[in-house]
Amino acid sequence: MMKRVLIFLLALSLAALWGGVAAAVTPEAQQKVVTAASKNLIEIGLSYSGDQVHFFGVNPVPGTDLIIKLTAEKDEEIQFSVKGRVGPFWMTVKQYDVTGAPFMYKIHASKPIKEIVSPAVAQELELGYQAIRHKMKMHLSRGDATPDDADKVFQGMLKIKERANLYNIVEDPARLQVTEGKLFKHYFRFPPAASEGRYQVESFCFQKGELVGYGKDVIEIKKVGLENWLTQTSQNQPVFFGILAVFIAVGAGLLVGVIFGKGGHH
Amino acid sequence: MEIYLPIAGMSINFFLVIGIGGVVGFLSGLFGVGGGFLLTPLMMMIGIPPAVAAASDSNQIVAAASSGAFAHWRLGNVDFKMGLVILAGGIVGGTIGVQFVKVLRAAGNFEFVMKVVYVLMLGLVGGAMFMESLRTILRSRKPEAVEAAAVSEPKLGKLFAKMPLKMNFHRSGLNTSAIFPFSIGTIVGIMAALLGVGGGFIMVPAMIYIIGMPTIAAIGTDLFQIVLTSANVTLQQAFVNKTVDLLLALILLGGSTIGAQFGAIAGKRLKGEQIRILLAVIVLALTVKLFLDLVLTPQDLVSLAPAKGGGH
Repeated sequence: MMKRVLIFLLALSLAALWGGVAAAVTPEAQQKVVTAASKNLIEIGLSYSGDQVHFFGVNPVPGTDLIIKLTAEKDEEIQFSVKGRVGPFWMTVKQYDVTGAPFMYKIHASKPIKEIVSPAVAQELELGYQAIRHKMKMHLSRGDATPDDADKVFQGMLKIKERANLYNIVEDPARLQVTEGKLFKHYFRFPPAASEGRYQVESFCFQKGELVGYGKDVIEIKKVGLENWLTQTSQNQPVFFGILAVFIAVGAGLLVGVIFGKGGHH
Repeated sequence: MEIYLPIAGMSINFFLVIGIGGVVGFLSGLFGVGGGFLLTPLMMMIGIPPAVAAASDSNQIVAAASSGAFAHWRLGNVDFKMGLVILAGGIVGGTIGVQFVKVLRAAGNFEFVMKVVYVLMLGLVGGAMFMESLRTILRSRKPEAVEAAAVSEPKLGKLFAKMPLKMNFHRSGLNTSAIFPFSIGTIVGIMAALLGVGGGFIMVPAMIYIIGMPTIAAIGTDLFQIVLTSANVTLQQAFVNKTVDLLLALILLGGSTIGAQFGAIAGKRLKGEQIRILLAVIVLALTVKLFLDLVLTPQDLVSLAPAKGGGH
């Protein structure tokens, strides 16, 4: 009898543990949000100046709140310089290595994120700038740290990223149109600064703060034609590329010289 | 019209780039400077990552300088012998300079040291050149004073004329020791490596005021040696840093090769002192800008560090 009770208790605690894990939100386990993108491949050609991709989706639980997140699959390793005053001059006084921040990060939400989910869930699913701040790691590589550095560097990074249109958060129903609580559409702008690689667009449906639906699209950005050839050659055959660059330059210089030289004798 | 630069990883207005190339090319043909000291900051100002800007600029300087050198060679302004001796010195100086840079980098704040050296160097060269050419222009307005001002040979020149390894630099009208241009080349080479530029804006004044070459021969000869030094830098950048954006360089050189031709023609029409005073004004303006950068509160206290900011 005692043994059975023990086993029952063990099972119960395991279930509680399992439940706890489940409560830690597993997006893939939710109902599928069926989505479609106007294109899944963006090609960078000579006249590329960024692109716009339209997304359409069906909300599996009508009337729920929607948050859509665009991130680059790669995280960035970047270094930030912090300037400070030394005598009359401004110079770099410290440097931070930052890891774990996504290269690109955009969010469209049908209303403010904090009204849709709790801070804990937002952090879990990496929704909102605060979640990024928790995730990224800063390491002082030069200079002396001060307590406000973390905030300063984080705000500085947001400013740089937002200026390049690589980060933004729009919490506005006008930006994420939902028809009859079910059909939604919106678009993401990929700025020219968005480099080659894979990007994922995740759609989350929340009902009273709980995740009830999830969908994912993958968008790939690739260089094509001359752009691709120049990039590949410069990175993989640097000796050939360097010599080519010099020859083309000398050739072009002399050619123009000859053309103008002839013109000058008239 | 937007165009995507593959290595810089950004799209930019085609006409903006070709326009900047044209203006810098014109100055390059006029003054015989490579233009790197103007072009690199301009490229960075329009958002090109610094490493890509510097590498692609040296690539386009090869083109602009060879076009300019060709034009000057046709006009008989290139002293090949002098150019090669200076070049030999420049290579030695450049090698020493790169080691200096390495030591400074390890000590930290290389960028700051570089800017301070820039301000001092440019201020000195620009200021001296401005005063000298202004004096010449004022003197030429009073004809009676012209004779008094007649050719004062540089004192250093006299000293070196007595040293061994004498050479006759026919085109420059000089008969002096090869040690002289060689050591000037070495010093300028060190400076150029420290400042990350071709060094034309230091070399031309050095040729005129220290070696004592005629202005026009100094310009032609300098362009000739710039072709070789910038070709070397382009190769090094392509091999080591892989930051040469050939497309960016091609657009820049489209503008600059044409600009350089007009520059060389304009140079023929202007008097030596007029060219010098113009160059002095540009150099001084740049000095003021760099100085303000050092002392004014920067717009952004946090910035992407250049080393990893290239996105590659």
